[in-house]
Amino acid sequence: MNNLLDDYALASPLRHHSNWLKLAIVAFGLLVGVSSPSPATPLFITLSMGFATLFFGKIPLKFYLKLVLLPLGFAATGSVVILFFFGTGGEVFSLEIFGYRLVANTGGVEMALLVISRTVSGMSCVFFLALSTPMIELFAVVKRSGIPDSVVELSMLMYRYIFLFLDVAISIKDAQTIRLGYTNFRRSVYSIAMLASTLFIRSWEQGEKLYIAMDSRCYDGKLTVFEAKRPIRAPEAVLTTVYAILTIALLHFTGNAGFI
Amino acid sequence: MHVMEGCLPGPWWQIWFAISIPVIAYGIYKLNKLVDERRDILPLLAVAGAFIFVLSALKLPSVTGSCSHPTGTGLAAILFGPAVTAVLGTIVLLYQALFLAHGGLTTLGANAFSMGIVGPVVAYVIYKAGMKMNLNFYVVVFLAATFGDWATYVVTSIELALAFPSAVGGSLTSFKAFATIFAVTQVPLAIIEGAVTALIFKYIIQVKEDVLVGLNVMTADTIRKIRGSAA
Repeated sequence: MNNLLDDYALASPLRHHSNWLKLAIVAFGLLVGVSSPSPATPLFITLSMGFATLFFGKIPLKFYLKLVLLPLGFAATGSVVILFFFGTGGEVFSLEIFGYRLVANTGGVEMALLVISRTVSGMSCVFFLALSTPMIELFAVVKRSGIPDSVVELSMLMYRYIFLFLDVAISIKDAQTIRLGYTNFRRSVYSIAMLASTLFIRSWEQGEKLYIAMDSRCYDGKLTVFEAKRPIRAPEAVLTTVYAILTIALLHFTGNAGFI
Repeated sequence: MHVMEGCLPGPWWQIWFAISIPVIAYGIYKLNKLVDERRDILPLLAVAGAFIFVLSALKLPSVTGSCSHPTGTGLAAILFGPAVTAVLGTIVLLYQALFLAHGGLTTLGANAFSMGIVGPVVAYVIYKAGMKMNLNFYVVVFLAATFGDWATYVVTSIELALAFPSAVGGSLTSFKAFATIFAVTQVPLAIIEGAVTALIFKYIIQVKEDVLVGLNVMTADTIRKIRGSAA
C-alpha cells in the first residue's frame, strides 16, 4: 500500500497530454474488450496498452508486471467455477475432489480463457489511465461533465485526505508491529481495531478543523480548479486512429456477435 | 469482495449500472439536502470517506492467508445511513479501481450495488432492528457489520452466477459454486470485520462520543447507558 498508482502518474511524461484523448482511448479499450467474443481482441488491447504504458509512460517493467499479476488471482478463482460449470462440448479433462467428479468441457475452457483475457485487457486500460493521469487532472474533466457539485467537492476533499491518513495509518502500524502487536491472531485483531479507531477519531478532528479553516476563508461549496489547455497533437491523433482501426478490424475478423 | 474489471460480459454490467444509478442519484439528493441543512457535514463526510478508503487499503489478519481487507461499509451505514453511504461507497470504489486496482470501471455498477447499496442497507436494517429490541449495543454492531459483509458476498456471487449460468442447472448451480469458493475467505473475514467494527465503536464511545450524538446516531442518554453497562 506504499506504492499508490497516483505517485507514478504524477511523474509520468504522459501526464502532459490531452486528458480527453486519454479518456477516449481508455473508454474505447474497455468497451471493445468487454464486448469482444474472442480472446484475440482483448489480447491485442492488452499488448497495445501495455506498450503505451511502458514505452510512452516510462513505467518500470518489473513494477508493471507485478501490478498486472496481482488482480489475476481473483480472476483465476472466478474462472475455476466457469471452467467446470459453464458450457457444453467434449470433455477436456476432469478432476475428482471429495468424491465429486468435476468435468471441464471445451465450452467451459473457452469461456474461462475469454473471461481472463477480458479481465487482463480491462486492467491494462485502467492501469494506462491510472499511471498516466493524476486525479487532479481528472477533477477538471469531471467538473465539466455535469456531475453534481457536492459529489465532486466530496471526491476532491476525500482525495486530499487519503494521502494524509495513509501516512498516519502506516506509521501507527509500524509502531504497533515494532511493539509485537501482530504476533498472533488475537493481538492482530485487537491492534487493527485500535489502529482503525484512533485513525477514525483523528480524522474526525481533522475534519472539524478543516470546516473551520474553509469557513473562515469564505468557502461556499465550490472549489475552483485550473484546467490546463492541452491540445491533441497530430502524431497522437494518428497513432490513436491507427490503433482504433486495427482493433476494430481484429474484432470484425475474429467473429463478432452484433457489435458492429 | 470486488468483481474485477472485464469479469461481467454483455448486458450484465450495463444492467447493474442501470440498477445502481437511481439509488446513487437518490443518495446524492439526500446528500445535497444534508449539506444545505448543515454546512459542516461535507468536510466530515470527506474525511469519513478517506478513512474508509484507508481502512480498505489495510490488510486484515486472515485465517486463510489470502488477500483480505475490511470494507468499512457497516461502519459508514450505521453512522450516516444507507443513502449517503451509497454515494460515499461509490466514490471509494472509483478510487480503489484507479489507485489500488481493486474492482474496475465497467464493473463499477455491479460493485456499487453489492458493496455500496445492499451491504449497507442490510447492516442498517439489522442495526435499527437490534436497537429497537434493546439488545446489547456492541452485539448489534457486530451483527450489523457481519451480516452486511455476508450480504455483499451473496450479492457478488449472484452477480457472477447470473452472468455465467451453469450448463446443467442454470444460474442456481453456478451460484452454489461461486458461493462455496468465496465462502472460504468471506465467512471468517466478515466475522473479523464485525468484531473490529464493534471494537471501533467501543473506542469512539469512550473517547469521542459527541460524534455519535452530533450525527443523531444515538442520544446522550443511550451513551450513558452503554458506558454504564460496560463499567
